[in-house]
Amino acid sequence: MGFVLLSMENPQNSLEWMVFLAKKYMNMFLEGTWLTLYIAVIGTLLGFVVGYAVGIIQDMKVSKEDNVLKKLLLRVLKAAAAVYVEVFRDTPMIVQAMIIYYGLRQAGFNMTPVFAGVFVTVLNTGAYMAETVRGGIGSIDLGQREGAWALGMSPMKTMVYIVLPQAFQNIIPEMANTFLTNLKMTSVLNVIAVQELFMAAKTAGGNFYKYFESYLVIAVIYFVLCFVFNRLFIFMEKRLKGKTDYALAVEYMDNQ
Amino acid sequence: MGEPIISIQNLSKSFGDHEVLRKIDIDVKAGEIICIVGSSGSGKSTLLRCINKLEHQTLGKIMYHGKEVRDVWKEVNEYRSKVGMVFQSFNLFNNMTVLANCMLCTRKVLHLSKEEAFDRAITHLKAVGMAPYIHAKPAQLSGGQKQRVAIARSLCMNPEVLLFDEPTSALDPEMVGEVLNVMKQLATTGLTMIIVTHEMAFARDVSTRTIFMDRGYVAEDAPPSELFCNPKNPRTREFLSRYLAG
Repeated sequence: MGFVLLSMENPQNSLEWMVFLAKKYMNMFLEGTWLTLYIAVIGTLLGFVVGYAVGIIQDMKVSKEDNVLKKLLLRVLKAAAAVYVEVFRDTPMIVQAMIIYYGLRQAGFNMTPVFAGVFVTVLNTGAYMAETVRGGIGSIDLGQREGAWALGMSPMKTMVYIVLPQAFQNIIPEMANTFLTNLKMTSVLNVIAVQELFMAAKTAGGNFYKYFESYLVIAVIYFVLCFVFNRLFIFMEKRLKGKTDYALAVEYMDNQ
Repeated sequence: MGEPIISIQNLSKSFGDHEVLRKIDIDVKAGEIICIVGSSGSGKSTLLRCINKLEHQTLGKIMYHGKEVRDVWKEVNEYRSKVGMVFQSFNLFNNMTVLANCMLCTRKVLHLSKEEAFDRAITHLKAVGMAPYIHAKPAQLSGGQKQRVAIARSLCMNPEVLLFDEPTSALDPEMVGEVLNVMKQLATTGLTMIIVTHEMAFARDVSTRTIFMDRGYVAEDAPPSELFCNPKNPRTREFLSRYLAG
């Protein structure tokens, strides 16, 4: 049956149309998948970097031990971070994409749609991740930090060696969520002419007036992508949890 | 006995309108074991946290070897690496093994080599009887074990003074003994200690000086033999009678 379907030149029902379109526009769908993945992966990873930086800035407290310059710098950074997070969380990504792409073009910055797409994804992800990171940092009890400070660790070292590793582990599920969201949100980037999956489906469907079938094809692709990545994240989370048991160091047993 | 290591001068601390510490003056000399007792809310823990600079005093200052510890990160961190602290809730680093807990600060603050840091960690873990557990994570230990690791971790820094903030208050009764024993042993090494505690018998037997705090004041500061057997302040008497009766 499958063989017959695949060789179909004259599709009769929706399933056959799906196969027909998938075959005919295979290259376009593959390129769309690649671009979707590319934007989602690069955008998310860079977005995480931005998110961590902004989240850490938001979590920092101006302390009495800081010198005047640092106090001022920190206040400015915190204000900028707050505005950034607020603006990007309170506007839709599709609108951000339009504004950034056309706005920057108008200002004389010529960029490819893909670059703009990655840029918007990074900024959007960064704003959401900043809040997630802040929450993740907050989930680590203050006691552990005080324990480190009381031994002479600087706040920076405390953050790097104690707080962030634990916060990272706690927010893995949320990071996975963000990535999956991004994978799907790249579809809005068709408005700035990024040739990703949604654009591919629109083109393929338009050529034969078979939108339903065409979008079903990319629905399957999105689903498979997300499904695979989801398993990957679950696997990663388990791996990072590490062992639940430990070995007694028998060589020191007699020194009780 | 020479110059004091830490000199607390006219220290006051308020949280908003609430005055927690009022004009505290205490000199801590080398080798002293000072136990601070008093009812809950009398300011004992806040005083200890001020000494470690985890809280900012509202007034007064803390002198370390005759020099004021100013609110500058470099000075505060250097001072803290010499004045360790053991907490009621242990405050071990949950993402690290016992060994890593004991090596992190010696590596990152004192910049010891891996071998030196390891040797120190093992030496002090042996002393508290926790060396066999170097591969365990804090979550896998009992409260008493955690506290012994926390003590070893502080000792790895070779502190001049070690502060204890109610080290046994979060422990089950049967675990209190093992921690107190470690502390008693420490007392014999000549380490200077300031201990906030509710363990009156321990304070009486181990301290060289006992301070009774009441409503933010140092109400009485005397050798334990005097404070426990012949308290001058009526508030001390009242407190002790309640404790010893209960």
